Amino acid sequence: MNEKKNDFLMLDTGSYFGKARVNDPKYQEDFTFIDTYELPDIDLKPFKCLVIQGLIDQKFLYKHKELIHEFLNDKKVIVFCGNIFMDWLPGGSNFIPKTIHSFQDYVVSVHQPHPIFEGVEEDDMTYNKGVSGFFARGHHPIPDRSEVLLTLPGGEPITYIDRHSTKGTILVHSGNDLFGSMNVKKTTVRISFQLMQWVRNEYQILQEKSEVK
Amino acid sequence: MRKIAVIDGGSSQHHRTYTEPKYRKNIDTLIYLPDLVETSIDEFDVLLLPSQLHMGLLMKSMDKIYEFANRGGIIVSFGPQLNEWIPGHNWEFRETNFWWWLEKDPKSGLVLQKPDHDLFSRYLTLADSTWHQHGVYWPPKGSDILVSTEDGGAVLYIDKVSTKGTWVVMTLDPDYHYGSYFMPATERFLNGFFPWLAEGDV
Repeated sequence: MNEKKNDFLMLDTGSYFGKARVNDPKYQEDFTFIDTYELPDIDLKPFKCLVIQGLIDQKFLYKHKELIHEFLNDKKVIVFCGNIFMDWLPGGSNFIPKTIHSFQDYVVSVHQPHPIFEGVEEDDMTYNKGVSGFFARGHHPIPDRSEVLLTLPGGEPITYIDRHSTKGTILVHSGNDLFGSMNVKKTTVRISFQLMQWVRNEYQILQEKSEVK
Repeated sequence: MRKIAVIDGGSSQHHRTYTEPKYRKNIDTLIYLPDLVETSIDEFDVLLLPSQLHMGLLMKSMDKIYEFANRGGIIVSFGPQLNEWIPGHNWEFRETNFWWWLEKDPKSGLVLQKPDHDLFSRYLTLADSTWHQHGVYWPPKGSDILVSTEDGGAVLYIDKVSTKGTWVVMTLDPDYHYGSYFMPATERFLNGFFPWLAEGDV
């Protein structure tokens, strides 16, 4: 399959933690990075997917929420990993932190098998050197008819796919960036690559739908 | 009580930390970072610059920040910095010591250099300031290093020599972690730090 590269647009938050990703050679072929505040000024046509990280200025996204809607209504994909606190993402709800009584409250479960998490051990998502809590520490209430992929022990959906709020597809994960696993030495290394493949497939399906008369 | 302004980068981490009522009550005004360049900060005693700010936007207000310092203002900076914008801070990147507490005979690597300083005699303990470090500063001569690494690199220092004001600078990023619902020590740090900033002997 002859895929166009740099078809993922990632917004650079301009922060200390964000720069590591912008400069990481492993991301240069698939991702185009732009400064968050340039979003209103660039042509979004070449991109299949908009990737928004947890350190993003959500007040800015709220101000420009029509751009987000338009991008999705062009039958494209948005991946957001973080904690929502403003109404900028279609179908999105504010993050609800998990009340923690023990480290086991952070255990991650696969709600239903999905290509993004194929071959990924649940324990590798839950634990980092035996410590839990890195993957997700709460959830977002899901929009109607969403597909839940991962949950916390109380059934809280930490990762969901929403194909109904817009003409596009939205993946929301309430923890750290799912594209950030490229450099780890566990089964979670698969997530970034499988997520990328899933996005490209999803985009293809969305675009083909648009051609049906 | 000092009049404190905090720069708000619009992130969920800043929102959670700086709108939390027990911290918000110490803050007079939250200034949204994109508005900083057009906003007067003359009326404030303290300007707090959170961690993980958009450095490009912050740099646009450098003249304003240095004018504030030279009028005798107190500037607080949390967390590691992408640019060398704090006077003579000489940032040295180090691998973050995330896992020190899992080791046998764990040592955080932090040393409290000034236990008699008001911040540590009345408001904080070293344990409240201990999670991990992203690197160290080698600040200007004459600065007071309150917390250092074992080799003397500054993790938290106060510089009253570089400008007419006071710079409270740390590699620690309590707001990022508290704002991410992560690392209980960071809440204890903020519980002590804000009252000190509002009323303590800075």
